[in-house]
Amino acid sequence: MAKTELRGSHGPAPDHVLTRWIGIENLARIGVYEKQGGYRSWKKAMTELEPAELTNEVKISGLRGRGGAGFPTGIKWGFLPPPDGGPRFVVVNADESEPGTAKDRYLMENNPHQLVEGILIACRAVSAQQAWIYIRGEYDLQHLAVQAAIDEARAAGYIGEKPYGVDFPVDIQLFRGHGAYICGEETALLESLEGKRAQPRSRPPFPAVKGAWGRPTLLNNVETLSTLPWIIEKGGAEYAKFGTEKSHGTRLFTVSGDVRKPGNYEMELGRPFRDLIEGMAGGARPGRKIKAWWPGGSSAPVLTGDLLDTPSDLEALAAAGSMGGSGGVIVADDTRCVVRMAYRLMQFYARESCGKCTPCRVGGNWAVRTYERVLSGHGTADDLALFDRVQSGLAAGRCLCGLGDAAGWVIQWTMARFREEYEEHCLRNECSVEGGGRAQPLPSTAASGDLPPPEGRKLAHA
Amino acid sequence: MSVERAGETVPETVVEEIRELPKRFQPGSRSAVMPALDLVQEELGYLTPAAMSQVAEALEIDPGYVEGVASFYSLFHLEPVGKHHFYVCNNLSCQLRGAEEILTHLKDAIGVGEYGEISQDGLFSCEPVECLGACEYAPVLRYHHRFHYDLTDAAVDKLIAAARGKRRDGKD
Ligand SMILES: Cc1cc2nc3c(=O)[nH]c(=O)nc-3n(C[C@H](O)[C@H](O)[C@H](O)COP(=O)(O)O)c2cc1C
Ligand code: SF4
Ligand code: FES
Repeated sequence: MAKTELRGSHGPAPDHVLTRWIGIENLARIGVYEKQGGYRSWKKAMTELEPAELTNEVKISGLRGRGGAGFPTGIKWGFLPPPDGGPRFVVVNADESEPGTAKDRYLMENNPHQLVEGILIACRAVSAQQAWIYIRGEYDLQHLAVQAAIDEARAAGYIGEKPYGVDFPVDIQLFRGHGAYICGEETALLESLEGKRAQPRSRPPFPAVKGAWGRPTLLNNVETLSTLPWIIEKGGAEYAKFGTEKSHGTRLFTVSGDVRKPGNYEMELGRPFRDLIEGMAGGARPGRKIKAWWPGGSSAPVLTGDLLDTPSDLEALAAAGSMGGSGGVIVADDTRCVVRMAYRLMQFYARESCGKCTPCRVGGNWAVRTYERVLSGHGTADDLALFDRVQSGLAAGRCLCGLGDAAGWVIQWTMARFREEYEEHCLRNECSVEGGGRAQPLPSTAASGDLPPPEGRKLAHA
Repeated sequence: MSVERAGETVPETVVEEIRELPKRFQPGSRSAVMPALDLVQEELGYLTPAAMSQVAEALEIDPGYVEGVASFYSLFHLEPVGKHHFYVCNNLSCQLRGAEEILTHLKDAIGVGEYGEISQDGLFSCEPVECLGACEYAPVLRYHHRFHYDLTDAAVDKLIAAARGKRRDGKD
């Protein structure tokens, strides 16, 4: 893989669980990974611990899913029914498409064996002998890095018929996604893996019971699984020492946007975001102030710049009126128009809607058109009301999956927290942020113009 | 093939490869459709109706099904693209770091007015895409299966100049 500057945590530090070895030359090669102690946890999982003990360690660790929902990992593992002799799967969510999130990419390209080892441990814990990594199609080099790690692990006998002489044939394969955000949603991902259009399934049944190809399936995120070798090596209790009472451990945050040092930074949960954004990521650009930030990808409700002292655990974020989400922290400073940023995100959700639920399919496009009208200087008081109507149509579980909620939250929370900017645009056709005075002309990617219409190609064959 | 369908077809060697794909998956599943379409797109640059029929036939599924899948996913091209196609991230983190300007510059530099349009010499096209998952290197584009980071107008110009001697697969 081409050498690029590492932007993020690497090397040993008290709270580097995921990134402690990153930066070591050729860590992606199995010999180097083993030299650090790699695959010792896999050995332990096969030769010293029973599958139930693995699950128990993970329960003790308090690890919660890093894909977005924050569900306790050990408990999820326990949802799979007892083996019935038929196939069972571990499916790895490496779709990483949440705007502002790049940490799974960072882990896959810099430490692919850690992920492979984590997947193997999960396979053993839930007695699944086949793992599928669903990796987004744009991650070409990362795909190759993980494939090379799998090949090396197979050659070393860690993957294969009898790892460590134990009769547990296990295999890992990669499946390439093709550019659809919705494939990150776990049931849409399974549809896609089965060769279908990626439209979420209604639940129950949950994937644990009826997942890939109708069989019991454990679905976890790349970061979640990459944490496992550490937990099995040092014990769940050791991991649980990091973090707060309810959010244990560390997390790899991606910080992007208006900061001096964007990057993927690992930090103990509970430490305030100020340490991350102003400390590790270097804070706002010279002379600028942070005005708005999304703490967990674009789907997490936006927060205002005065809330940087919010602790990073999931409970504190919920109390502040947002959520942990994907850990992708997008930072915007006082040169940015919130209405315009909301418009860009709304285009994203409208474009990526799978089209299955009416509020999401239609509401998203309505909102995009409303933003276009308002941003081109034709807003009225009616538009304020319209935003509210579309937003409430998307809220409160009216949609099948989280994409619809996220789309609604963009409107709801940018409006709630930056009301005066919406009023400026809608009532006075002004924008005090960008140059003061009149609203700006539309950006060049207006959904009505250059982009394919959100409903167009994707829905042509619905 | 029974029905006449428009566009180029892929050679028999590729069809053979496609017939092998289902072995990787659960028996009876349709999981081979996307990997098959990948092979076609690598070969032809985009998915012609005729080639999608070949896929359908090789995998013994309905051509309408194949097209339904192809049309859902944005990485599949149902229309021709330039020999060199740029996917430019224009989601928020990249936009905050100048993705709009990069896109405008790129369109000018390759001489197209619209996204999806192919330059007159048939060499270039581009499209804005959603977050590429490399936001710490914003602005970012993907081109011939590689990411290019920290884009500037000058970096874009360099890519274009280098591309003028390349084949479709990006090799020199
Ligand atoms: C619209 C949508 C997009 C999602 N995208 C991703 C994603 O890209 N990666 C991911 O790991 N989880 C994503 N999720 C969350 C998954 O559905 C699922 O909760 C997660 O992969 C489970 O793994 P975990 O328990 O290890 O977090 C998404 C959810 C929704 C509703
Ligand atoms: S909420 Fe939107 S993306 Fe999710 S299933 Fe419904 S239409 Fe599809
Ligand atoms: S926003 Fe461009 S890579 Fe994430």
